[in-house]
Amino acid sequence: MKNTLNRRQFLKLASAMAALAAVPRAVGAATTAPRVVVVGGGFGGATLAKYVRMWGGNVQVTLVDANPNHVSCILSNLVVTGALPMSRITLAFDSLKANHGVTVMQGRAVAIDAAGNTLTVSTTSGNKVLPYDHLVLSPGIDFVPAAGNWNPNLTPHAWQAGAQTTLLKNQLAAMRSNDTFVMTVPKAPYRCPPGPYERACVVADYLKRKGRTGAKVIVLDANASITAEPEAFGHAFNVTHAGVIQYVPNATVLSVDSSTRSIVTSAKTVNNAKVLNYIPNQRAGAITAGLPLNSTGFVPVNPLTYGIAGYPNIHVIGDSCAVPSSDGKPVPKSGHMANSEAKICADAIIRSFTGEAPDKDIATSSACFSPITNKTSSWLSTNFIYGDIFDASGNVKGKGMHRVDAGEAEADMIDGDSYQDMFIWADSMFADSYS
Amino acid sequence: MDISIFTRAMLAGTALLVAVAPTSAAEPGRLLASQCAQCHGTNGAGPGFEEIAGKDLFNDLLDMKYRPIEGIMDRQARGYTDEQLRLIADYLSTLPGNGDD
Repeated sequence: MKNTLNRRQFLKLASAMAALAAVPRAVGAATTAPRVVVVGGGFGGATLAKYVRMWGGNVQVTLVDANPNHVSCILSNLVVTGALPMSRITLAFDSLKANHGVTVMQGRAVAIDAAGNTLTVSTTSGNKVLPYDHLVLSPGIDFVPAAGNWNPNLTPHAWQAGAQTTLLKNQLAAMRSNDTFVMTVPKAPYRCPPGPYERACVVADYLKRKGRTGAKVIVLDANASITAEPEAFGHAFNVTHAGVIQYVPNATVLSVDSSTRSIVTSAKTVNNAKVLNYIPNQRAGAITAGLPLNSTGFVPVNPLTYGIAGYPNIHVIGDSCAVPSSDGKPVPKSGHMANSEAKICADAIIRSFTGEAPDKDIATSSACFSPITNKTSSWLSTNFIYGDIFDASGNVKGKGMHRVDAGEAEADMIDGDSYQDMFIWADSMFADSYS
Repeated sequence: MDISIFTRAMLAGTALLVAVAPTSAAEPGRLLASQCAQCHGTNGAGPGFEEIAGKDLFNDLLDMKYRPIEGIMDRQARGYTDEQLRLIADYLSTLPGNGDD
């Protein structure tokens, strides 16, 4: 056996040592694969879990969700009207397990130990402590209810799909002629900007189709005007559903009484509505409580990694995060956007395992179709590119996701083709996130 | 010190690490192209709108980007630089797809 290295052996050894040096300690020290723990099995969390497994090779991914499956808010307004069954929007985690090797744990994430890198999950068989190398939070929204006596089991928000959707569907089905359906639009930012206006449209359409003469839909909007697809929904409110929908802007909710289905706002008070669909203002999901929050209750993130300042291996994606963006051009909170952000976060996490810097050549997008009647739909599309972001005067204020403006973001017509396209889009989104 | 034993140990250690460590992320265009999957399926192979895997779509994407906006793809194509569209098209062209439209 020779004791000397030739040049080739030396280079091989040197490159092997360099490879070792490049592996971060979390991986180099571990004898097992790095661990990614994901909280929340909505579109963000499911996509994150799938893509880390698909792109990352040998990474352990555990997805934590309180429910045995995810009920999609996308298409859920059509379950409220009875156009679709609940099964159509119920998405199982089975394919994430079978096709991608994701471990799914049913339970509620209750505590993060950021110093110890563990997440505590409350399950039916007691608390479980999950160690992680990276923790990704995709918990969706929590509600910030107004004063008064709010009980969502009496007056459903149906802004988290499932039992709430069924409750609102049953209440709508019980409406008769001359009854009033009162709903609120939360103060922005909130989940799914076009969603409340879409709901008003399909509820009005339902009441007309069922012959509920004189029945009304009163829309109490906390914002100054329609926040998404103003052309499409303006036309729908003023023409398509004229005489049924009454739109009230600048209606800040002051108090709610679920037992009498009454609501007081700064613009209008309604007592004893037949249905009160109060959708409260929103903030980041409860598990983010100990993390830095912005003034509207969401978690500011780095758009390259969805990481949080001061917490190098905790990430927040989807509705709970606040992405730096140009003034007046916020990144919308939507299932599509959560899916989009999840891929960037997944890629950044995988790069960190191999010592690579996050990709800066990134883009995100959100597209959706909004039914106006039971046969027609509009669409909305927004795109964001990483780079300079601007204040209201057009001055550069930093780096973030800048919305690319090119013509109208919304469809220039409401038609039946878009209604059919809506199902192609939803099925593709469901499969990309859950299969 | 027996250097050859050290070398073998080093390389064996490296081989073990390669087996354990995650795959590198750096495939140009992969992350950008994944933003097509919400509507065209994972890896562009459906379910969804037109299958986009296994085709060179660069000229189609440029056409959509610069023509007047009619459909949703004309809007989406404007969300990327020409260089990004090139990366997306090149990456998608390497994917197998199902041979569907």
